[in-house]
Amino acid sequence: MANVAVMATTNNNHPTTTSRWNMSSLRSSLPPIPPTSASSLRFTRPSPTTLRISRVKSQSLLPSFTGLRPLPIFAPPSEFSGFDHGFTVIDNGGRVYAMRHGRKVPKLNRPPDQRKALIRGLTTQLLKYGRIKTTRARASAIRKYVDKMITLAKDGSLHKRRQALGFIYEKQIVHALFAEVQERYGERNGGYTRIIRTLPRRGDNAPMAYIELV
Amino acid sequence: MMAASVDPLVVGRVIGDVVDMFIPSVGMSVYFGPKHVTNGCDIKPSMAINPPKVTLTGNMDNLYTLVMTDPDAPSPSEPSMRELIHWIVVDIPGGTNPKRGKEILPYIGPKPPVGIHRYILVLFEQKGPIGMVEQPTSRVSFNTRYFASQMNLGLPVATVYFNSQKEPQAKRR
Repeated sequence: MANVAVMATTNNNHPTTTSRWNMSSLRSSLPPIPPTSASSLRFTRPSPTTLRISRVKSQSLLPSFTGLRPLPIFAPPSEFSGFDHGFTVIDNGGRVYAMRHGRKVPKLNRPPDQRKALIRGLTTQLLKYGRIKTTRARASAIRKYVDKMITLAKDGSLHKRRQALGFIYEKQIVHALFAEVQERYGERNGGYTRIIRTLPRRGDNAPMAYIELV
Repeated sequence: MMAASVDPLVVGRVIGDVVDMFIPSVGMSVYFGPKHVTNGCDIKPSMAINPPKVTLTGNMDNLYTLVMTDPDAPSPSEPSMRELIHWIVVDIPGGTNPKRGKEILPYIGPKPPVGIHRYILVLFEQKGPIGMVEQPTSRVSFNTRYFASQMNLGLPVATVYFNSQKEPQAKRR
């Protein structure tokens, strides 16, 4: 028996609009977009798991878990996030906990670069095919990024378009998305995806789910 | 922003895209070969080239109409051909199977070109015998609600749906 439940949905009765994504005519009608320059989406970095030992010249004799002595070089501002900087983000004053309390970024069993690539690939495929079947953890991890892409498309300005081009792997999909999102999601505020849980995968019993654009 | 309903037909948006909310009154079990179709299960197109075995409950006096449609044609993200009608059988006596009915539109199997498509089998109860009706002019842009109102069928009495996607040509290693 298929086990189904909904994770994110908004209940509405909008009539089914026939959305036409004629990609070739779209591509020809749009002005050529120059290659993307410094467009990157910012991701909050997960908290560091490495230990920082305080300096020996400090007052306490034991190295302490809770903290760096505040050296000017090692104290980045708290809103400092991004992949293109060499500093790690220390939101909690360098404290390292043994538990995961409050950490919401899904790691997906991958290092950060592969994780970003996986999420980018999955959102590209979802926007391309409309419905994909993947594991539940991945489906709930990409919800946020699919919604972000659709929000960028709803804004529609050139800057947002370049930001979307920096995230999605295929540019035809970005152009098609920007063209048709207004008629499709114009009235809807958020919640552009739906997850339907389904039977586990045979090879490794991984819980699977369909994720689809609403 | 949480679960609207646990009913699989609502969750899979079958109710909404193809039919309206109804109360199931007839049991329908669909088998593609050895595989029993439950809501949202996966059926390969290679298993569905022949029409399924459908068994209905209900008494012999009632006649039923069965419709199989695909609302996600040609692609779920861009359903410009919604819906694609696959099979229409009318005048099925209750408690039997569609072979005893009149096949208005011959069965074609699922052939989803892009993405994962839903294939929905809808059963209506007829008020009287319908006999031979002319085929719809084309299989695309079918509307189940319109068809039901044309044939004076009312709300469905049973619905089941399955998912299907294009199989890769070479066997995955």
